[in-house]
Amino acid sequence: MVARCLFLKPIKGAGGDLPAVTERYRDAVEIDHYALHETDLSPFRAILLPAHLDQRYFGSITGVVEAFLDRGGRLVFNGHVAWPMLTEFAPFEPLSSFRLDDLAIHRLADHPVFEGVAAEHLTFRRGVAGFYARGHNPMPVGAVALNGVGKDRVPCDWVYARPGGGEILMHAGNDLWMYIDSDDTTGRIVPQLIAWAERDMP
Amino acid sequence: MRRLTALDAGTYYHHRTLYGLRFRDAFDRILYVRDLPRADLSDTDVLFVTCRTDPSVLVPNRAVFDAFLARGGTVVAMGSTGAHAWLPSVRWTDTATNFWWWKEGGSLDLHAVAPDHPFFGHVPLQDAIWHHHGFYDVPEGATSLIDVGDYGSVLYVDAVSSPGTMIVTALDPCYHHGSYFMPATTRFLDGFLPWLKAGQLVAEPAPA
Repeated sequence: MVARCLFLKPIKGAGGDLPAVTERYRDAVEIDHYALHETDLSPFRAILLPAHLDQRYFGSITGVVEAFLDRGGRLVFNGHVAWPMLTEFAPFEPLSSFRLDDLAIHRLADHPVFEGVAAEHLTFRRGVAGFYARGHNPMPVGAVALNGVGKDRVPCDWVYARPGGGEILMHAGNDLWMYIDSDDTTGRIVPQLIAWAERDMP
Repeated sequence: MRRLTALDAGTYYHHRTLYGLRFRDAFDRILYVRDLPRADLSDTDVLFVTCRTDPSVLVPNRAVFDAFLARGGTVVAMGSTGAHAWLPSVRWTDTATNFWWWKEGGSLDLHAVAPDHPFFGHVPLQDAIWHHHGFYDVPEGATSLIDVGDYGSVLYVDAVSSPGTMIVTALDPCYHHGSYFMPATTRFLDGFLPWLKAGQLVAEPAPA
């Protein structure tokens, strides 16, 4: 089968503490971080960006990414928006405090990526809250909030169908594929994310 | 005051750490890491390699670091930058990271090796304790400030292996501070950056 999901190899320092999702999915390939602008994107349905992203580099190649989206591609973004990148992005807004109530995750709309995933399992990891999201990247008008964090349920996850084509899935936290080995309902995220990312556009 | 140049690898956590108001004044210059090969460092006393800057963008700059040390500069290699691949005399052992010791009732067993070192006047030991990703063997003549058990060092100062000074650590405060996570990492930087700017980096030898 032709690989349909394109992962960018994360900037991750010397540590080996991030899961290699592309070792598990034959439909996924990983390219060098700084090779995205010179990669033939035509075989791919989706680009999946790591939270360990050089946003200065990514912000310098938006023409390539917008052309990919315009053709109906999907983009999955993890992390906090810090540098100017796509026009659909806005700078990360942290929560004003990080008490337990502030860190609870709430489901705001159904989406195939989070089907069957309990919000409580997103809130707590080994009984500790705060790993999933500590703020949000504000949505563009017309986006759909999927998960919210804290009492104000600010949208830490959203999906946006661009008027010009393509879709963006935003997650304001660590890589969604950190859940690849989870044994609670968050274990559903990675296969559902891959399935969503690689399907044909309607 | 030493002039401090920090490398920016473009990540969100570098952005918050380097450009955020809390520490912005500590950095005299912020240099995009991909511009390092062409950079003039003559204005720089301390080159701060920010946590988790990828070794793949540092290794091609070995000659830059060597030349900077040769003229007496100080290189600070923060955690998860793979310093053994681009600095001289660095020996690293990667270990599994225990993120959960504080919840499971254990300890990281980090201890101050040189408690009288001026570093600890800026950073109390408890502000250096969150986790680490391995340890370093300390080169002959260098000074470990913090060891893990009797395995090796998570923070040492090496003023003997080159004409300059290397401060090498397994601690990654910029990543966690920059992620709005783990307040100890913010407190670590509160003391660590002023120490790099104006503190005594190399302790006087003990009287014979």
